[in-house]
Amino acid sequence: MTNNKQPEQCSLSRREFVKISAVAGSAAAFLGGLPGFSRIASARAAGAEGEFSYPLADPANQLHTVCLQCNTGCAIKVKLLDGIAAKIDGNPYSPWTLHPHIAYDTPILETGTVEGPICPKGQASIQTAYDPYRIVSVLKRKPGSKRGENQWETIAFTQAIDEIINGGDLFGEGNVEGFKDVYALRESHIFEEMGAAVKAIWGAKTAEDRAHLVESFKEEFADHLEAMIDPDHPDFGPKNNQFAFVWGRMKGGREDFIHRFMRESFGSINSNGHTTVCQGSLYFTGKAMSSKWNATTGGFDGGDKFYWQGDIANSEFVIFVGTNLFEANYGPPLRVPAVTNGVVDKGMRYAVIDPRFSKVASKAWKWIPIMPGQDTAFALAMIRWMLDNERYNAGYLAIANQAAAAAAGEPNYTNTAWLVKIKSDGQPGKFVRASELGLVTATAETNAEGKEVTVYVTEDGVRFTSDVPVVLVNGEPTPFDPVSTDAAPMVGDLLVDTTIGDIRVKSSLQVLYESASENSIEDWAALAGVDAADITKLAEEFTAHGRRACADIHRGPSQHTNGFYNNNAWYVVNLLIGNFDYAGGMIKASTYDRKGAKPGQPFKIESMIENENTAFGLDMLRTNVAYEKTTIFEGYPARRPWFTLATDVYQEDVPSMGDAYPYPIKIAMFYMSAINFALPAAQTVIDILADTSKIPLIITSDIMVGETSTFADYIFPDLSFLERWEFQGSHPSVTFKVENVRNPAIAIPDWPSATVFGEEIPISWEALLLAIAERLDLPGFGPDGFGEGMPLTRPEDMYLKQVANIARGEKEDGSDAVPEASDEEVEHFLNVRRHLPATVFDPARWQVSLGNDESLWKRVAYVLNRGGRYEPFSKAYKGVKVGHPYGRLINLYQEKTATTINSMTGNPFAGYTVYIPPGLDALGNPINDEDAGYDLRLITYKEIMMAKSRGIADYWLLALMPENHLLMNRVDAARLGIQDGDEVHVSSASNPDGVWDLKDGTPRPLTGKAKVIEGIRPGVVAFPLGWGHWASGARDITIDGQVVAGDPRRGKGIHANVAMRADPVLGNVTLSDLAGGSAVFYDTFVKVEKA
Amino acid sequence: MSDANIKQESDLTRRNFLRGLMGAAGAATAIATYETFVNDPQLVLAQDGTPAADVPAMIASADGDHFDNVERMRTELVRALQKPAAERRWVMVIDLRKCVGCHACTISCVAENKLPPGVVYRPVLDEEWGTYPNVGRRFIPRPCMQCDNPPCTPVCPVNATFKNGEGIVEVDYDQCIGCRACLAACPYGARTADFGLTYTGTTPIAAGLLVGQDKAESYERVANYEYGEARPREGHESPIGNARKCHFCLHRVHVGELPACVTTCIGRATLYGDANDADSLVAEMIASPNVIRLKEELGTEPRVYYLA
Repeated sequence: MTNNKQPEQCSLSRREFVKISAVAGSAAAFLGGLPGFSRIASARAAGAEGEFSYPLADPANQLHTVCLQCNTGCAIKVKLLDGIAAKIDGNPYSPWTLHPHIAYDTPILETGTVEGPICPKGQASIQTAYDPYRIVSVLKRKPGSKRGENQWETIAFTQAIDEIINGGDLFGEGNVEGFKDVYALRESHIFEEMGAAVKAIWGAKTAEDRAHLVESFKEEFADHLEAMIDPDHPDFGPKNNQFAFVWGRMKGGREDFIHRFMRESFGSINSNGHTTVCQGSLYFTGKAMSSKWNATTGGFDGGDKFYWQGDIANSEFVIFVGTNLFEANYGPPLRVPAVTNGVVDKGMRYAVIDPRFSKVASKAWKWIPIMPGQDTAFALAMIRWMLDNERYNAGYLAIANQAAAAAAGEPNYTNTAWLVKIKSDGQPGKFVRASELGLVTATAETNAEGKEVTVYVTEDGVRFTSDVPVVLVNGEPTPFDPVSTDAAPMVGDLLVDTTIGDIRVKSSLQVLYESASENSIEDWAALAGVDAADITKLAEEFTAHGRRACADIHRGPSQHTNGFYNNNAWYVVNLLIGNFDYAGGMIKASTYDRKGAKPGQPFKIESMIENENTAFGLDMLRTNVAYEKTTIFEGYPARRPWFTLATDVYQEDVPSMGDAYPYPIKIAMFYMSAINFALPAAQTVIDILADTSKIPLIITSDIMVGETSTFADYIFPDLSFLERWEFQGSHPSVTFKVENVRNPAIAIPDWPSATVFGEEIPISWEALLLAIAERLDLPGFGPDGFGEGMPLTRPEDMYLKQVANIARGEKEDGSDAVPEASDEEVEHFLNVRRHLPATVFDPARWQVSLGNDESLWKRVAYVLNRGGRYEPFSKAYKGVKVGHPYGRLINLYQEKTATTINSMTGNPFAGYTVYIPPGLDALGNPINDEDAGYDLRLITYKEIMMAKSRGIADYWLLALMPENHLLMNRVDAARLGIQDGDEVHVSSASNPDGVWDLKDGTPRPLTGKAKVIEGIRPGVVAFPLGWGHWASGARDITIDGQVVAGDPRRGKGIHANVAMRADPVLGNVTLSDLAGGSAVFYDTFVKVEKA
Repeated sequence: MSDANIKQESDLTRRNFLRGLMGAAGAATAIATYETFVNDPQLVLAQDGTPAADVPAMIASADGDHFDNVERMRTELVRALQKPAAERRWVMVIDLRKCVGCHACTISCVAENKLPPGVVYRPVLDEEWGTYPNVGRRFIPRPCMQCDNPPCTPVCPVNATFKNGEGIVEVDYDQCIGCRACLAACPYGARTADFGLTYTGTTPIAAGLLVGQDKAESYERVANYEYGEARPREGHESPIGNARKCHFCLHRVHVGELPACVTTCIGRATLYGDANDADSLVAEMIASPNVIRLKEELGTEPRVYYLA
């Protein structure tokens, strides 16, 4: 038998031995002194066939971290051979991979052969780390060359830092301002005082007051006006705001690092994420529906940027809407077994609503190929049926406040019964307040703190801290306190349309019912392009499982101009059966607090900063204040849209810089961003990035010369996710409370380091920021960055503190702390990192990051050994409810939305589920490209073997699908004379030539191969994202005069984002959902011709 | 193994440490030094077929009563390893109702066995049928069938491929001359030839500018452990030039791990175990009424069962 051979017979063993000695030698240097060092083990077992060893099964060669091939962030174990990542499998402690996961207290040394499933992208992530095209030196655009021409020079890290700090004539194109110029305001107390003054300006009741406050501002801060972007517009803030940091994918840890850097140290308000390119409108529908009643002001504020997903493992029936959970979503390893086991073993049924026959459709009871963007029509038809047939959870919906929810044992409640005031135009406005109906009397009082307050008292002497809403109780208008737990429980009448005094009111449910009744089910079906009988069947089935049914939505409904209302419609379908916070219904994510805000946690990261420069002013995406309140209000339409119901409006970053609206940006730094590749109408982004007059200095942090880096002035190398830290957090599809901790699993041989604050750290994103902080002497960084004697000079200084917070738990008495790692586990913790260089892993220095606290050190080891913290099953559910409920008001009717003005039309947004057609421009007008011969609707999707921007480095995956295709129905193909496999060309009204113009003199035609199938709605064409790269190793680049050849494998396929519709009103940006913020992927009509 | 190994048991020298790290040199180091695994009930495996003193315990689940099938099968695997090899009947069951066409198995296998371009042990077919809007789609993984009557072994001119004592069709890389007769003989197309390529082979070196091909290829060059032997991918050493095929990851199985395609199956479609164990999941599943085997008419007696 071959496996009986002696290893000596292996001709390679000797060579191998020599190679390893070098690596292990350095590891032995620090391991040598540790107790129990001799217990280094190699997996072996004695089977009947004899003995052999298999080091990958040895826990000593398995380091636990977190994947980032997609945002699912599955917990993984990286299996190492001589310090090289040889294989990746799922971390069995995590509920992402095993269902259920193994007990958290399982000794790590017992888990060598225990592993969970992960997807092919995770398996192939080794190739993202060991990508030949990764950059190892800072690259500078060669002076004399233009952005996009791909002419680069290597430059020493410190020299590059000098140049970006000092600016000057960096490219032979004239002076470029550096960070020292943009870091204009530097006094902590001035930030604070000016911030307050700007808030006062925004709070002005009239334009005259506002103008007056501006003048006062100029007087008060006369000595600092030079630091302002525009003294006449103090609300633009200081010049510091002219540094914008834009990121593609960033998770906790790095997110906290950049928040500190931008908002508290450098003092710029402009650090923006990418949310709206993914499923922004879903997040911001969640925010609107979670907006909170403020018992002091008597209004709504806040709301969480989040969303709910289905707890599908416990559902009996699911409607999956535009959610591709076998290939993307959050995410396949997590959600697929819930479906496959559910369908085969547990009798679960589901329907898929998607214009494309996705993989998840292949197991469905019903596939409904809806017309893209018509989700609201479909959902409103279901809502109508549910209301017509009284198939909704009336008992739950009638509960009007927290006290009633508590009394009824419900985890949450809605404003379904609350009365909405109907405006003179017949449109619903705000909730009617008790005082308007004469139900309470406002009385001035002095409270316990001696402050003058207004209280609202009923005839019977019931007191409210604000002017509260009203429900009808058996026809009787009754005011109530929504949130107080000791208030009177309130249950209201559900369907109300009446006039009280002279005020016309309707209940929220009545408003919804009327909206749903605008059309018959047949007419809604016609709009949605589906069979009315299918809608009825789905509604019947959906309402036949109590609360163990859900409609699970994702990107499909979201990325339309009406995305906000599509999402809202589906959430309302769920709300009508009352499935939120119930097993099998809609759930939210729960994570351990890494920021240390809970009592007893050791490191309150956010407050551990002195002399901070707290950023203020209008953010460049116009999300943090209403247009009307600012000094640049000039009527409607605004020059560019405002997005006060959203944040992180990715598609607005570059065009806003291009238009210098609201103000110019001088330095833009892009991190893990492929903004000119991933966005729809990508050409508009490229055109601006290429123009140095619009963005004078572009810096990227990238692992290769990616699409955005192609247009950079400086590219700083970063680490791949296998080499660095982050806190991946959780997803709303996970019931368990968790925190996944990404930590360095490997180091690339010979990776360069930089010296910052006297510390040697790998060249990385953190090194870049630390170096800038050092040179500008920013508060919150350096040897006393976290307070006296507590340095922030290395990445671990922040991240280990956060691990310690997670390890310590959230209870003041420490009763939910993880155990201290045993000596054996501490030893494993050190041993499994023996291959990491001291620049990455220096145990003595790591202990300094933790304040040399022995106990914390051991708890941190316990968490890192397991790659995160994962609670046991018993905590995730309480009977039929989830263990971590959302637990408060869910807005069926959104007052805050209803009082928000659309900055382009001047009209308020609707606060309820209403049908708005898809594909409208920024002014709300139809576009009608179909009439100009663009007759096919373009949509996108994801294949499981490709990541949107970065999967192209993974050759194993490319072998599965070397290029993508444009999917089209056989009927359309026949009409256009296109055969399967034909090369086709795609164009649209805003890109009539169908090209990518990369500013290198050779526009590239937008072509790819057609795949003719049955499984797509006729009239719709689709392509999967991630192929068709023109950078990221796909194209030749020149560095120091040497041509580095691109790899043709990385450039195959079609990426048709460039053909997606630019907004005809704004010109330089994609279509957008002005309420929910989404960049619009699915509302473009294209022409497809044989190439 | 030899007595010489036992003598070293408590004398772990630096050299042994390094060899332990290498893994490939494992046989030269005494099992007793591997305290970790001796202490690990998962790996205390009796060699004579009698149950080990320490019956392998299941790793506790976070949900007391329930276990993922992946964990159930791993425990059954450990149980099977306590029996003599000849009494085990390794089979694979692929539940097509649960296969979602994710290709995790394909790629996990490539990573596990360090398969080069052109060598795939476990492709997954993706087929659409029907006419819009009545459309269907199915995904069919195709590993080696480990036939009990394999057409590939008799054609080997040098007896390099054979059914081993556990019923797995092996390739002895040191014997294989790369004639590829077996590739043609397999009715399932389960064998491919290793031409010595690498995925990064054609990428630039670009010293000092990029990570470059020379450093990037490290993950392709590290040893695989097929048939329990470390074989780094270097020069023209085997398995370069050989016929290659799925072996149910026997090197993993023998240390108590499921085959790579099984642990990574996100749909829980691929099952593995000892069909001679009446209580095993696979024994239960192959008694299903919807069980089929591919090209059964050829008389190859595949050990891979599909549930349709």
